[in-house]
Amino acid sequence: MLALALALAAAAADTLAPAAAQEGPAVVVHRQPALPVVAVRLSVLADDPPGHAGAGHLLQHLHLPRLEEQAARVGGRVQAVRSADAVVYTAVGPAAELDYLAGLLRSALRPPTPSPAEMLSALRALADERGAEREIAPSYVRAALRAALFPGDVPAAGTGLSAQRLEAASLPALWGEMYRPERVAVVAVGDVELEGVRRAFAELPPAGGGGLAELPADTLPPLAADTPQATRAWIGAAYPTEGAGPAALTVAARLLRNRMQSRMTRSQVAVEHWWTHHGQALAIVVATPDSLAATARRTVEGALAALSGALAEDAVRDAAAAVRRDMLFFSRTPERMAEVLGTFADRGEGEDAAQRFFEALEEVTLAEVRGVLDLLAAQEPVQVFVAAQRLVAR
Amino acid sequence: MRRGLLLAALAALPAAGAAAQERVLVRSEPGTPVVAVEVLVAVGAADEPEAQAGIAYLAARSVAAPLRPLLDSLGVRLEVVPHKDALSLTLIAAPDAWREASQALLVALFRDPVDSVATVRARQALVAELEAREASPADALARQVDAAVFGEGHPWGRPAVGTARTVGRLRVAQVDSFLRRAFTPERAVVAVVGPVEPEEAREHVGLFLLDGALGLPPVEPPQPADSVVRTDYDAITAWVSASWHFGPDADVGALRMLAGLAIERTSFGPSRPSVYNARSEVVRHAGGGEMRLHLVVPPREAEQWAARLREAVAAYAGAPLPAAQFAERLRRFRGERLLELDAPEARARAMAREALLGGRPDRLADYEGLTAERLQQAARALDPPVLVFLGPFPDPEESE
Repeated sequence: MLALALALAAAAADTLAPAAAQEGPAVVVHRQPALPVVAVRLSVLADDPPGHAGAGHLLQHLHLPRLEEQAARVGGRVQAVRSADAVVYTAVGPAAELDYLAGLLRSALRPPTPSPAEMLSALRALADERGAEREIAPSYVRAALRAALFPGDVPAAGTGLSAQRLEAASLPALWGEMYRPERVAVVAVGDVELEGVRRAFAELPPAGGGGLAELPADTLPPLAADTPQATRAWIGAAYPTEGAGPAALTVAARLLRNRMQSRMTRSQVAVEHWWTHHGQALAIVVATPDSLAATARRTVEGALAALSGALAEDAVRDAAAAVRRDMLFFSRTPERMAEVLGTFADRGEGEDAAQRFFEALEEVTLAEVRGVLDLLAAQEPVQVFVAAQRLVAR
Repeated sequence: MRRGLLLAALAALPAAGAAAQERVLVRSEPGTPVVAVEVLVAVGAADEPEAQAGIAYLAARSVAAPLRPLLDSLGVRLEVVPHKDALSLTLIAAPDAWREASQALLVALFRDPVDSVATVRARQALVAELEAREASPADALARQVDAAVFGEGHPWGRPAVGTARTVGRLRVAQVDSFLRRAFTPERAVVAVVGPVEPEEAREHVGLFLLDGALGLPPVEPPQPADSVVRTDYDAITAWVSASWHFGPDADVGALRMLAGLAIERTSFGPSRPSVYNARSEVVRHAGGGEMRLHLVVPPREAEQWAARLREAVAAYAGAPLPAAQFAERLRRFRGERLLELDAPEARARAMAREALLGGRPDRLADYEGLTAERLQQAARALDPPVLVFLGPFPDPEESE
C-alpha cells in the first residue's frame, strides 16, 4: 500500500488551492517522473441549468472532435466525461507538451461555435445515449434505482424535453450559467512540476453572461413504461446511506458482493457504492437465469441480514485490503491516477479526499461495518425487477 | 498450488548468483502505485514438435491456473501471452504483494510439476478458444501471413497458440515433460517495474533463476514465400497484408515511425472511403524482425491496395522529408510511443523483450535521435515485401 500512500501524500504536498493567495484554479499535481508523460484532468464543478439537463454533455460532444484531432497532433488523446459532479476533460500526452495540452483544455472553457451539422450530430449522440440507458437491462436497472434515490441527478444526456430546449438555446448563455473560473479544478499526474501546471492554467476565460430563461428543474420521464432487453432476470435494490462513513460503506459493499457471489454461483452479482455530491447509496444488481429469479429475489432481500450474522474481523480486514489493492491497480497509469484524485476532489470533499479515503480504508473496523449494515437495514430499499424476455415460437 | 509445496521448494533454493541477477532487470519508480513483473521465457514454436503445436502455451496456462486462487487473494493480476519466440507472463501486484506473487509464479514455472487437473481444464478451455478463433478471418489472415513470411516448414510459420486439433491431442504427461525440458530458468528474463528497491528486487528474483548466461535455442532463418500468396476465403471483404523483413542491425525506431506513416497514407479517409480497416505492427525477434501493414478493402480493389501499400513505404525512401514536415510527424510519433508505455506492465514487457533480444533494456524510448535521413535510410533498406491476399477473388472478366 506504500506506493499510493506515498503518491497521494506527494499529491497533497503539491496541492495548491486558490485561497493560498494564488490566481487561477485549484491545482493538484502528483509528480510521477517514471516516464515523460502527463495526464491533465480539468473539471468544472457545475450542474446543468434547470430545464436544460444535458447541457454540459452537449457542449462536450461539440468540443470533443476538435480536441481529439488537436491532441492527436502530439500523439496524445482526450476524453470527456460528464459526471454527476462535474464537466470533465482529460488530456494525456508527452510531458513536454504540457502547455499545448493545457491550451486544448482551456479552449474547452469557452462556448463552442458549431456548424448546424455539428449541432445536429451532437444532439443525435445525446439522443442515442438516452436511448441506450433504457435499452438494455444492466443500464436500465441502475438508471431506475438512481432516479428513485436521487431525483435531482438527471442523466448526463438529459431528457427528451430538455433536448428540445438545448436545440433552441444560445450556447454562450448555457455555458455562462455553468462556468465560473473559480469552479475549475485541475489535477495533473506525470513528469511535471506544480509551478509549470499552475502557469499553464493561470489565465482562464472569464465567466460569461447569463441570459438563459429561468425554468423549473428537469424531471426524468418514468422508466416503468420502457421494456429493456433482458435475456436473464435482473434484480436491483438500492439503499440510501445518509450518514454512513464512505470507507466503511465501500468495505461493506465488498463484503456483501463476496458473500452473495459465493452463494449465487449461477448469477452475476454487483454491489456498488454510489457516491456523488447528491449523496451516497449502496446498490445491488443481480442478473440470474429466469428459473432462479424467485430464489434470487429472496437472497437479495435477505442479503444484509445474512452478512450481518456472518461478519468477522479478518473478513473486514481482507475486504478493506482488497479495495485498497484495487485502487492501486486502477491508478497505475497517469490518466487513471488523475481520474481517482479528481473524482474524489469533485465531490467537494477537498483536494486530499482520495488519500484520506485510502487511509481510512485501513482503519475500518468490524463495528463500523456492522454500523453501516444496521443503517442500511433500517432503510426501505428501492427495488427494480426486469423479467427475462422469452422468444415466442412461431 | 499448495503453499507447503511452495515453501519446501523455497528451502532448497541456492543463493542468487551474479549471472542470474544479470537476467533480472529492475526499474525503480517511486511514484508508480503497483509493481509489474514480466517473466519472459524463451520458449515457443521452435521447441515444439509440429504435432504438438501449442504445447508451450498450454504448459504456461497449466502453470498459471492453480496459482489463480492465491493471486486473487493477494489482488494480483496474471496475464499469459504467447509470442513466436517466447512466452510472456505478466504479474501486476500491489507493492506489498509482488514478492509473494512472483515467488509463487517462478517456483511453479521452474520447479513444480504441472497439476494434472489444471492441465486438463486448461486444455479444454484452450481448445474451445481456438475453435472460436479459427473461424475468424483476422486469425486466418495471421496464419496465412505467418506461413508466407517464415515459410510453411518453419516453426514460426505455425500459430504460437497451436490449433484446436494439435492442442486437443496433448496429454498431461507430454505437457509435464515439455515443461521440465523447455521451461528452464536460464531461458528466462525477468523485468520488475515499480516502487521497489533495485538491489532488493534483484536479489529476490535472482533467487529463482539458476546461475548462468541467457541461453536461447537456435532458430533457423525464415524462408519467406517468393511469390504473392492468395487464399480463398468466403467473405464479402478482402484482407491485404504486406510484410517487410528486416535484419538484426535495422533501425527499429525509424521502422516503427515508417510503419505509422505508411499506414496513415492508406487508412480510411475522405479520399480513401473504401478502406474498412488499417493496421500496422513492427515485430522484433531473434535475427531481425518484420514490419507488417494490413488493410481490409473491397475484394475488387485488393490488388490496387497492395500496390498502394508498397507505394506508401517507398514514398519515404526517395528523399528525406522536409524539416518542418518531419518535425511535425516526429512530434506525433513520440507521443504515441510514450503513451504505449504509460502502464508499468508495458514498460516491464518492453524491457524484458529488449533484454531477450540483446538490446538496451534501459532505453525504452526508441524515437530519440530520429532524423529525416534515418527515416529515409530505413525505408530504402527494405527489400520487397511478402504479399498475402485473403478473400474472394472475383474473376476479372466478370462484368460489374
